[in-house]
Amino acid sequence: MTPTFDTVVRLLKQLPGLGHRSGERLALHLLVERSERLNPLVEALSAAAAAVRRCGRCGNLAEDELCVVCADGRRDPATVCVVEQVPDLAAIERSAAYGGVYHVLHGKLSPINGVGPDHLNLATLSDRLSNGEVSELILALSNDVEGEATCHYITSLLPDTGVKFSRIGFGLPSGGGVVFADAVTLKNALDGRREYH
Amino acid sequence: MTLLEIRLQRFRNIAGTSLRFSGPRQFFQGGNGQGKTNLLEATGYVTALRSFRSADHRPLVMNGADEAGLAMTFNHETTGETRVVIRLRPDGRGVEVDQEKISRVGDVIGRFPAVTLSSDDIQFIRQSPGLRRRWLDLALSAGDPVYLRELQRYHRGLAGRNRILKNEGGDRELSAFEQTMAETASALTPLREEGTRQLSETLQTVCGEISGGAETAALTRLAGGTAGTAEEWLALWRESREKDRLSGGTRRGLHRDDYELSLNNRSARDFASEGQQRGLVLALRLAEFRYLMEKRRVRPLLLADDIVNELDPERRRRFWKFLGEETQVLATGTEPPPEPETWQRFEVSGGVFTELFR
Repeated sequence: MTPTFDTVVRLLKQLPGLGHRSGERLALHLLVERSERLNPLVEALSAAAAAVRRCGRCGNLAEDELCVVCADGRRDPATVCVVEQVPDLAAIERSAAYGGVYHVLHGKLSPINGVGPDHLNLATLSDRLSNGEVSELILALSNDVEGEATCHYITSLLPDTGVKFSRIGFGLPSGGGVVFADAVTLKNALDGRREYH
Repeated sequence: MTLLEIRLQRFRNIAGTSLRFSGPRQFFQGGNGQGKTNLLEATGYVTALRSFRSADHRPLVMNGADEAGLAMTFNHETTGETRVVIRLRPDGRGVEVDQEKISRVGDVIGRFPAVTLSSDDIQFIRQSPGLRRRWLDLALSAGDPVYLRELQRYHRGLAGRNRILKNEGGDRELSAFEQTMAETASALTPLREEGTRQLSETLQTVCGEISGGAETAALTRLAGGTAGTAEEWLALWRESREKDRLSGGTRRGLHRDDYELSLNNRSARDFASEGQQRGLVLALRLAEFRYLMEKRRVRPLLLADDIVNELDPERRRRFWKFLGEETQVLATGTEPPPEPETWQRFEVSGGVFTELFR
């Protein structure tokens, strides 16, 4: 429509989850319809860009050396839950079901997409495990082929550290009946069954 | 199951058609290139969301159109009257069963089974192993969704390993993918062994019923790697690493399996006459029909492309006896079929279907 407007749309539609139409809607909204929202957003973005970084220990988002989880003295530092991305961590936090700490890989091994071990946050994980503070590592990676391969890779990095490895279970959603599950989920649920008392 | 109605829009040369079927026999008659096989292709697409003619769905969309639509209403053994709608676009497809969106092939494969008989089937004996592997994988997947899931995981792991080999990645990374492959391979190997054995047994029975002779027919798996358990597969791939690095790909594994058809204990490819080969692939397709029927408890549709007019009278009699009264058969031919009054007939010309009244 105008050269600068088109540049904004072009940049917006490169963002995840946005196509041309939604990029255009956002640009119109911020520049024309509700232009009072623009400046606070620009300021918030540049402030966050200056302040937000990766936690030096786990890779979570942080504004200090450590993220809020690593800095919280009430969390159990001996139990580490490995996740692929920050939103996975956020989902587990929302469940309030976990009292340990995390390690965020920022991806999973995916040779087809050009992601190798060097692209993942693995070096700091080795350091954390070899200093003896960790007793259990919970692998909360997705159960597709790449997620499984990444789990194998992590366990092969640290064969003799005495750390207990565990894998989260995959199965039926709570409150759901058996009839609603697809065949593959049912197979996972049956494979992962446990003794009932 | 039976197909009660089919509607097609912009599917190959068929601009738009809506056909209602009554009774279990439909015959589509017309010259070559008029659209007879396209109708069978559309009907067969629903079995595994794949065409029996093309691995790519783009050619199925009419030239110049941006979307093809297929809608079929079945009378189904377990779900009663069921409507399947498929939209094909160059960049993807959408599938709905009774207005419920289906996102994974695994949730629909084998639910609406159809078996296709075609004069090209003879290539199954003559051509390279890829065709045979694809056929067996589709038949076993349609019979058991767990097989498809494991097969997809195996191929995903294999693609990962091959990419690491090409990129000269490290042994530790290779090993991570070999382990996931070994897990799926150890689940797939017995399923393939058992599936091949069942199909082979069924083939032997069907052969007897169709040819009436005392010939012995068999389907045998020629393993692309001698391993069965996860440990054996792991050891095999670990040993192969150096040579695999040189060739830039995984040379051994389930993806290299082949299948041999034999007649009277001799390879059908090398020793059977053309007539015997044709009889054998016909029996193989009918074995697939019976296998799917027993596995899914649904009677498949039979799609006979240019076949029924080719059978000699004796074989034709046995063919119909095998199928029974209930099996719905959709058949094509350039000439009217024998006993034309037993069929609901359509004339096909330039993608247009006209019912011929008896």
